Amino acid sequence: MSRLSHADKIQPDWWGKTLAGVILGLALSFGIVGLFAWVGSDGLMDTLTPARQSWRTQFSMWIISPIWLLILSFVFMFKNSKQAVLWLGGANLVVYVILFVVRGMV
Amino acid sequence: MKIRADILRIYQNVHTWTGVTTGLLLFIGFFAGAITMFAGSIDKWSTPPSHHLPQVDADQYDALIYRVLEQHPEALNGINISFAADHSPVTWYEQGGARGLSLDKTLWHGTLNEAGELEAHTSYINELSSLVDYLHRSAGIAGEIGHDQAGVYVLGVAAILYFIALVSGVIFLLPSLVKSFFALRDKKGASRFWLDTHNLIGITSLPFHIIIAITVIVFAFHDILYDGLGKLYGDKPLFPSQAPSAIEYKVENLPKLEVILQKAKDYAPDYQVKGITLSRLNSARPSASIQLLSDKHLMRGPEADYLFMNPYTFEVSASSVADDAQGVWGAVVTTLFGLHFGSYGGEFGRWAYFIMGILGAVLFYTGNLLWLEKRRKQKQLEQSKSTRVMGKLTIGVAMGSLLGVAAAFAVTKWTALTTININVVYMWVYYLCFGFTLIAAFVIGMSKTAIWSQRAVAILCFSLPLTSVIAFAIPSLGIWPATAWSSIGLELTAMILGVIFWRMADKTKHRAYYGETNSIWFIGQHQTECELQTQSV
Repeated sequence: MSRLSHADKIQPDWWGKTLAGVILGLALSFGIVGLFAWVGSDGLMDTLTPARQSWRTQFSMWIISPIWLLILSFVFMFKNSKQAVLWLGGANLVVYVILFVVRGMV
Repeated sequence: MKIRADILRIYQNVHTWTGVTTGLLLFIGFFAGAITMFAGSIDKWSTPPSHHLPQVDADQYDALIYRVLEQHPEALNGINISFAADHSPVTWYEQGGARGLSLDKTLWHGTLNEAGELEAHTSYINELSSLVDYLHRSAGIAGEIGHDQAGVYVLGVAAILYFIALVSGVIFLLPSLVKSFFALRDKKGASRFWLDTHNLIGITSLPFHIIIAITVIVFAFHDILYDGLGKLYGDKPLFPSQAPSAIEYKVENLPKLEVILQKAKDYAPDYQVKGITLSRLNSARPSASIQLLSDKHLMRGPEADYLFMNPYTFEVSASSVADDAQGVWGAVVTTLFGLHFGSYGGEFGRWAYFIMGILGAVLFYTGNLLWLEKRRKQKQLEQSKSTRVMGKLTIGVAMGSLLGVAAAFAVTKWTALTTININVVYMWVYYLCFGFTLIAAFVIGMSKTAIWSQRAVAILCFSLPLTSVIAFAIPSLGIWPATAWSSIGLELTAMILGVIFWRMADKTKHRAYYGETNSIWFIGQHQTECELQTQSV
């Protein structure tokens, strides 16, 4: 393995990456779960028994934090904070646009 | 496995900082959590047998409930019926509810005497297991935010960092994992031994730690998460709203207890009913909360599964017992609860969780020690300020909280001889021990504090079985000895822990006085270069 040049190396960028992971990561996990709540199985457009609907909502709430935590843990793999913001921001944009369209169709 | 050096370095930093900032909070959360696995046994051990009144026959419960509600109308708001042999058949609160830590809850116990009349007395609830649970959930950080303790949110934030610490720890361990997984090198110096212990515990109990981290975050922040989710739901409600019933139920129409029990049995045939709490009996929203036990199921609560029904109509409003309505969603959620509480696998499961909880505490303690070892200057006596402060904090907080809990256990039976409210004593004892140890660590140094506090914990642990021996020898004292198996088990465990702490004190002492001279623990005689030269001459 050849030595990495300085430009190839991952920059720590602690504050930038951490903030991107905390804010954009959390928004993204909410977006993913929201999408899953609307179009996933037993979604919000289906008619469910009260018990099942209640469990479905609890499940959705539960999976927000694991998704966020994974994003937050791996955000330091981005080469620098700019990359982190661009990728996570872009993903947010895509997810929320789809969510908006899906909700508009109901 | 090969991972790029720059990634490794970054995640090593992430691991260090997330670990060192949360280690001590998590230490308290874990060892206290391990102890709460035996909350039932602790309550039994710490409550004088005279507090509980004799059980009644199965067909007498209805008469008993009737008498209580007639003579103590406050019990209409909530009356607990217990079928356990060593528990009063009915209990109710004069003020306050069952949940949370409150120091002056007055509980009424009731039973029927031979003439069929109500016999009742009040007692303070012994909150020893609640004190430990409070430490477990808040790390002893006082104050309240909203409806929860401030410490719960602090631990919630700590759990976020803890999850990141887990992931980063695994990432930077991966390259050497295969080579040195089971290696426990005790001949290569202390820091290598601590590192191997830390890695071995971390990797083997990784799934447990991931579950704990995620559940703690959800326990702390579920309100915020639900709020956010509600925004995404738009007009759709998060939970189906139950139309308020127009009917005002009256206690005169309450069905017989055996009918309610039969309905519960029909609903959950594999379960045993541990007890029932009837609440708001004269209202439009009456409720029967039925605690169900099973060793074969993953139970959602810390000690039982729950079934909520209307005691008049038997309409089930909520339940954590697995049924078709739950589907995969309910199964996953219930499993996550159960995996946090360790409420499956009966006694074996409890022990497994107890051990994993203790190992978790060891993981964080060794993590801090590793940080100290790594930062200390190898060739000089004077260590950096951050190392010294962290060393003192580590010993002060870790040993202080252990000492506080050990002391709370130790004073339990002796305080019962007085009329003092035991729960107030617990708070004073815990915080005094904690504060004293923390201050001592800063005043006389970490090594000396570690030695005396480990000895003190050991002595307090030994005092538990000793108290039972004294109680047997001098029955006139009025102290109750441990007679039930679970209480004997508790005191034996205390004795084993005592031996372990005594040996730890010996080891710490050896290291402090005769170990490496430039370690943070060292407080022995320094041989100056001048002396060494004279010796060699």
